[in-house]
Amino acid sequence: MKPSATPKRPKGAAPKASRAKARAPVRQEATKPRSRGGANSHQTRFSSRLRAWGRHHRAMSWDSFYRLVRHPVGNLLTMLAIAIALVLPAALWLTLDSARLLDAELDESATLTVYLQTAVDTAQAERIEQAVSAEEAVLDTRMISAEQGMAEFQQSLGLDDALAGLDDNPLPASIVVRPQSVEPAAMQQLAGTLEALAGVDEVRVDLAWVERLRHLAALGRRVALALGVLFGLGVLLVVGNTIRLAVESRRREIEVVMLIGATHAFVRRPFLYSGAWYGLGGGLLALGLLGLGNHWLSLPVAALAASYGASFSLPQLDMTGATILLSCSTLLGWLGAWLAVTRHLTSIRPR
Amino acid sequence: MIAFEHVGKRYGGRFEALAHLDFRVERGEMVFLTGHSGAGKSSLLRLIMRLEKPSRGRVMVAGHDIAQLHASQVPFYRRQIGVVFQDHQLLFDRSVFHNVSLPLEIQGIEPRETARRVRAALDKVGLLHREKALPVELSGGEQQRVGIARAVVNKPSLLLADEPTGNLDPQLSTDIMGLFEDFNRIGTTVMIASHDLALIARLRHRILRLRDGRLVADEGAV
Repeated sequence: MKPSATPKRPKGAAPKASRAKARAPVRQEATKPRSRGGANSHQTRFSSRLRAWGRHHRAMSWDSFYRLVRHPVGNLLTMLAIAIALVLPAALWLTLDSARLLDAELDESATLTVYLQTAVDTAQAERIEQAVSAEEAVLDTRMISAEQGMAEFQQSLGLDDALAGLDDNPLPASIVVRPQSVEPAAMQQLAGTLEALAGVDEVRVDLAWVERLRHLAALGRRVALALGVLFGLGVLLVVGNTIRLAVESRRREIEVVMLIGATHAFVRRPFLYSGAWYGLGGGLLALGLLGLGNHWLSLPVAALAASYGASFSLPQLDMTGATILLSCSTLLGWLGAWLAVTRHLTSIRPR
Repeated sequence: MIAFEHVGKRYGGRFEALAHLDFRVERGEMVFLTGHSGAGKSSLLRLIMRLEKPSRGRVMVAGHDIAQLHASQVPFYRRQIGVVFQDHQLLFDRSVFHNVSLPLEIQGIEPRETARRVRAALDKVGLLHREKALPVELSGGEQQRVGIARAVVNKPSLLLADEPTGNLDPQLSTDIMGLFEDFNRIGTTVMIASHDLALIARLRHRILRLRDGRLVADEGAV
C-alpha cells in the first residue's frame, strides 16, 4: 500500500511562494463545504477515475513485488511449494499427451487380416480383394500373396533352411484391411461381414491390446484430472495461508485505511497482486523443475526406447503448454489470495 | 448537519451505552462533547462514523439516515468526514507525508494534486518541514498534528475528534484546539469529544454533556 506519489522535491527546497499558493486553496475550497467535497467524488470524470484506478493497480503490483523481493528466502519457499504442487499434474499431463500420440499411431495400425482359403488362386484372390474394397466400412486393402507371406515369414523368423525344405507353401494368401472406423464394435461387425464372403477362410481382429491401452489412457486422464484438482486446491491453500499471514501482519494498516474510507477492493488489491506473483513465481519454478526432470530422465528413456528398437523422446512443454501452466498458476494464486483476504476482511473491523 | 433522533445503543443486549439522545448540530457549528470516561462520548462518535448502527432511533448526517447506507457506500460516506483519533492511528512504517496523503490516495487523487494538498495541510498544522520524518521521530503533539492534517487534507465538511488533547500538556492542548477553531472558522462543522473541562470552558463553544449515555446538559446552544 505504498503511495505512488513520492514527493520528489528535495528537503528544504519548498519555496515560500509555493507555500503561500498551496495555502490559499484550502481556505477557499473549505468555505464551500460538502458541495465541494460532493462535487469531487461525484463529478470526477470517468476517465480520470479510470486513470486513478490504473495508477493504483500499477502502484500495488510494484509494491507487492517489492514486498516479495524484500524477503526472498521465505517467499521462494512458498513459490517452491506451489511449484512442486504444479509439477506432478503437469508431468502426468505431458506423459498422457505423448501416450495420445502413441494412440494415434496405434489407430493407424489397427487393421483386420482376411485369410483366404488355400485353394483360392490368384485371379480369385483379386476378385475377393475387390469385393472387400467395395465394402463401405473399408478404407483400403493390401493383398499379401502366399509367396509374399512366405517371404515375410522367412525373413522375420530367419528360418530359411527349414522352410526351404517344404514342398508346398502352407501359407494362405491374405488381405490386410484398414477399416474406416477403429471402434471395436465397428471392427467386429466388419469382420463378420468379410468372413461371410466366399473364399474367405478366417478374419482376424486383434483388438484386445488396443482396447487395454485405451482404457489405461482413459484411467490416466482421470487420475491426471483428479490430481490436477487436488494439487490446484493445494496451491490455493498454500497461497491462501501465506496471504492470511500477510493480512494479519498488516492488520493495523488495514484498520486505519478502512477508517478513512478505503473500499474493500482497495484493501484487497495489494494482496491479490501478491497472490498472483506467488502463482506466477511458482509456475516459473514448476517450468524449471519440469525442464530439469526432462533432462534428468531423457538419457535412460532414450536407452530404454532404443532397446525396443524404437526412438522415443520425452515430451516437452511447448509454448502453448507453458503459457497454460503459467496462466493457471497465476490465476490460482490470485484466487487463493482473493479467498483468504475476503474471508479475513470480514473479521477486521476498525476500532 | 447532524441530527440524533431518539437514539439508543445497546451492546450485547444488556449494556446500554447511549439512551434517548436527541440533538441537532447545525452546519458550521463547533460542539464539544464531554462527560466522564464511559459516559458514551466515543460510542456517539462511532455512530456518526458509521462504525456502528444505533439500536434505536435514527442518526441523520447531512440529511441522510446513515443506518440506511449500504455497506458498499460506507467507505464513500467516511471520506466526507475527517476524524482525529486520540491514539492518532498513524502508520509507523511510512513518512509524515505518506500518512497525510493516505485519504487522497484512497480516493485516487492524482499524485501532483495530492502533493499540493498534503503540503497545504501540513503547512496548516505547522509541520511542512517534517514531511519526510517518520511518526516515531515526532513528539506526541506533533503526531497529533499529523493526525489532524490527515483528517483535513480531504477538506471534509465534518470534522470529528476523539480526545484530541488526551495526552498533551496544557499549552499544546490549547494550540491543538486553536487549530480546530481555525477549521471551524472556514466553515467546517467540528465535533470534539474531550474531558478537559477547564480547557473547553475557556473556549466558549456549545457543550453537550453526557452522563451514563444520556444527554444531561446542552450549554451555549445557538
